[in-house]
Amino acid sequence: MNNRGRVYYNILRLVVVGVGVVLLARLMWLQFHSEQYKEKARSNSIESVVEFPMRGEVLDRNGEYIVKSRSCYDVMIIYKELPKEGFDTTRLMSILDISREKLEKHLREARRSPRASILVVGYLSQDNKLRLDEMNITGITTRYRTAREYPRKVGGNLLGYVSEVSREQVDKLPDYVAGEYIGSNGLESAYEDELRGKKGVKYYNIDAHRAIIGPYNEGNSDVQPERGLQLVSTIDVRLQEFAEDLMEGKIGSVVAIEPATGEILVMVSSPSYNPDLLVGRQRGNNYMELFHDQRNPQFNRSVKAKYPPGSTFKLVQGLIAMQEGVLTPSMRYPCNMGYKYGGRTMGCHAHASPLDLRDAVAQSCNAYFCQVFKDMITNPKYGSVKEGVRVWNDYVYSFGFGRKLGTDLYGEGAGNVPTPEFYDRVYNGRWNYGSVLSCSIGQGEMGCTPLQMANLAAIIANRGYYYTPHLIKKIEGRDSIDARFYERHYTMVDSIHFVPIVEGMWRGVNVQGTSRTAYLKGWDVCGKTGTAENSGPDHSTFLSFAPKDNPKIAISVYVEHGGFGSAIAVPIASLIEEMYLTGTIERPELVERVKAAKPNYRIYDERQRKYDAKRNKK
Amino acid sequence: MVSQFNMSSMKRSNSLFGRVDKVALLLYVAIVLLGLLFITSASYNPDSENFFSFSHNYMKQAVWIGISSVVVTVVLLLDRRLFHMFAVPAYVIGVGLLIAALLFGREVNGAKAWFEFGGFRVQPVEFAKIATALMMARVMSDYSFNIKRLIDLIKVGAVILLPFSIIVLQNDTGSGLVLGAFIFVFFREGLSKYIYFPVIYTVFLFIVSLIFEPVVIFTALLVLFTLYSFLKHGAFLGHLRFLLIIILVAMLLAVFTPMSGYVALMVAVSTAIVVLLVFVFKTHTLTLLWPIVLFIYAMIFVPTSDYLFTKLEPHQQNRIRIFVGMIDDPQNVGYNVNQSEIAIGSGGLFGKGFLEGTQTRYNFVPEKHTDFIFCVVGEEFGFLGCFVVVSLYIALILRLMRMGERIKEPFGRVYCYSVAAMMLLHVLVNIGMTIGLMPVMGIPLPLMSYGGSSLLAFSLLIMIAIRLDATTSDNDMSMGI
Repeated sequence: MNNRGRVYYNILRLVVVGVGVVLLARLMWLQFHSEQYKEKARSNSIESVVEFPMRGEVLDRNGEYIVKSRSCYDVMIIYKELPKEGFDTTRLMSILDISREKLEKHLREARRSPRASILVVGYLSQDNKLRLDEMNITGITTRYRTAREYPRKVGGNLLGYVSEVSREQVDKLPDYVAGEYIGSNGLESAYEDELRGKKGVKYYNIDAHRAIIGPYNEGNSDVQPERGLQLVSTIDVRLQEFAEDLMEGKIGSVVAIEPATGEILVMVSSPSYNPDLLVGRQRGNNYMELFHDQRNPQFNRSVKAKYPPGSTFKLVQGLIAMQEGVLTPSMRYPCNMGYKYGGRTMGCHAHASPLDLRDAVAQSCNAYFCQVFKDMITNPKYGSVKEGVRVWNDYVYSFGFGRKLGTDLYGEGAGNVPTPEFYDRVYNGRWNYGSVLSCSIGQGEMGCTPLQMANLAAIIANRGYYYTPHLIKKIEGRDSIDARFYERHYTMVDSIHFVPIVEGMWRGVNVQGTSRTAYLKGWDVCGKTGTAENSGPDHSTFLSFAPKDNPKIAISVYVEHGGFGSAIAVPIASLIEEMYLTGTIERPELVERVKAAKPNYRIYDERQRKYDAKRNKK
Repeated sequence: MVSQFNMSSMKRSNSLFGRVDKVALLLYVAIVLLGLLFITSASYNPDSENFFSFSHNYMKQAVWIGISSVVVTVVLLLDRRLFHMFAVPAYVIGVGLLIAALLFGREVNGAKAWFEFGGFRVQPVEFAKIATALMMARVMSDYSFNIKRLIDLIKVGAVILLPFSIIVLQNDTGSGLVLGAFIFVFFREGLSKYIYFPVIYTVFLFIVSLIFEPVVIFTALLVLFTLYSFLKHGAFLGHLRFLLIIILVAMLLAVFTPMSGYVALMVAVSTAIVVLLVFVFKTHTLTLLWPIVLFIYAMIFVPTSDYLFTKLEPHQQNRIRIFVGMIDDPQNVGYNVNQSEIAIGSGGLFGKGFLEGTQTRYNFVPEKHTDFIFCVVGEEFGFLGCFVVVSLYIALILRLMRMGERIKEPFGRVYCYSVAAMMLLHVLVNIGMTIGLMPVMGIPLPLMSYGGSSLLAFSLLIMIAIRLDATTSDNDMSMGI
């Protein structure tokens, strides 16, 4: 080896070692940063399959199911894995209960993305799933879901429904994946977090073609789904069914509350719908049908409607006036078919005159409460009517009017209580007690939800306080429900002032007055009718509780365009009270009468006719 | 199988076995057996009922290892002079096979470079490598051969270019480039720097011209060469003035004439070159000539290579573009590399364990048992495994070079260096491509990638080297092992 050769040899040896060093350096760079590559490798080779949990069920206050979950299955097709030699499509169609056209449509769709799982049908029953499994067609798989089932078929707009999350929802709610179910409206929405349960995940090793090779990590990394929590509702489902039955054909609302707890026993918004309509393959069509119904069956009037309370509001006026010292129960005011003020008359019906507070309540005298309200807001101690109305406002708010009560349902309405600022706006700052007077008898700008009215009944039953009305009394695995439902809310009126009002309500039912139909032997029912004027026939309303001492139920019935309060609202409320208190109905003829009563809904029919005409045009 | 060979050769020719370079032999055996392990991992099918069925790639490879060990034994038993004698016929047959493949062969992956016999496919280029190495050794060891003589240079050049051009015609450019490894050998044999430097310079310009804009390249070259001249001749201010004037003129031209920056720079530089050439010939400062010539060469080469690049096949263009980082598309053309980087990177320090590599096992890495076998090493055995494998190769290559130096006759030395050079290029390009250092070329990892032709060819290449070296030791024991 000459010297020159030696030099070349050494240079080349350096080159060779250099190549090794460069390769190892790059390898080090890759493999010492292995976390990012490991992550990539994981997402590369592991497919996670979401397992949906069973949605929580809902029981009524007596332990009867209101909402059940039943197993059902989505059927999916992976086109590429379908048997090459074909399969028995006729049998498949009969199991899946779909037409040939539908099946072929889905197959065409599946062929476009041959490796993806394409949903063919949902809501396959357990039995049919087993039959499908027997066919053992590769490429056809099922996915466990739960569908809702309603043993009593009541409470459509109260319970809400379950649907697949929309694309927008998935964007907003990172917890949800496409295809997952979410509660909409009613209890399903209000208690979504409790009902939904926890999704599980199964991990599979897949190859580059995304074909599943086997369970990843022998299934040890899988997460089991956790079923949703069971809820116990405050609703008495038997009573709910009875109330819905009575409200059949009527538009309006029934809300009954247990005064001692604020638990809602009945919440009917009529028209309602059979909740089963929004489950299963016909869901979409049924939904559209409900959507186009101008009587708006999906609208929960109980918490969202804004009705004038009518004469039931006189109770509040009397209470406020007594608290403010402008009224004592023994004061008598005359009534000559109405109350005259500023050249106008607030009409009244024929009754004895003059009346004291108790009888004014029982007879629902307009003139009496106009006088009381005028005395209240024009009290010189406030300095002005405006200030008087402001004081009055605060009282009314304390009864839960003009604001959301804070029940557990979403979308609760606040109703409306007119304020001085409101009148300033409307009357350009120039108004007096006469402008406000219609409020005295619950007309004019006053607006309440049926829930607020039922709550008023509960307040009077409790002589001055209420618990926020709510629909769920127990959540599985939790000691208590939300703290706000245990808090006692007092009105600004002292308990003592409720005595004459309750007395008046008792007289109206038991002695002589507008509420005689509500009489229930031995139950000391108290009640106050209301007849709210509006653009159509009067709304009929009745507010009641029973028994007078230790009340067990407070109820508000509101029937749109039902005529006089005594006509429809009173018998409905009375029958519900009878059912709840005694467990039976002794007055079948009254039930028949209520069921036969069909208020005139020309206004709605007209609206529907116009709407349909417009739709058909499009 | 290999141990069988050891025992049998010991029995038949105890003295020969004593002279065989056992380090090289052990390295060879280690690499082959590790390769079988990796292929097993890459093609193991847990659902297969019969692990030992010959339908599995690892079993086929085992058969090839068996065949190789027989052939290798025969080679070791041959007289060393036979290799010298066979060089020319082997070369003729090798080139003939290449032509036959080009004419009658079977096309695989776009390259018409295969023969098919029944279920076996053979790639004649693998044997052409042996033939070329032998022929090179034969030509360069000729008594009258002098690499500094042009005619001799042309002779060896032709020996390489003949198979190279056929391989390129087969559309198997990757394999052809392996023959470029012979520059390594030329360097050892004292090739003039005036030959290899331009080659390196050309390759450098080619890569740079793909990545950078020409105006950037020429500005950089201008600064570089001016710096070189300053270091050689001093006179800092003069060089600085020269540089500044050219750049200023170029900028003025670019601003005040419709010329683009590139053209302006070319005009300014060309003028400067003319002035410089006059200066060079007047003052006889010939040392300035070299930078000028290299710059002029670049001025011709860069536009030409840009043009030639567009003449390449689209897939070749893309491979090169991805390699130099001009395209970033993990799913398409760069998919292989991306996946193989994930596989190797995810192996971490110690790997995921034998048969535990998800990336390679589930087909994310394509060609995992052939060209991308190194992914299995990286994923399942981690950096530790990679270190062992790279070290084994580097050790074997260094050993081959050392054997070459040890052999007194140029024939053995040139041959050993040829084998070392081809191994080095294979290892660099193959492993390099799996970790994103090299463009993707269909070049197997020697002795490890699945494939009979490649295994047999590299076994022969290495064993011939060992045989030639063993002869040397026979002649001169003082060299020792």
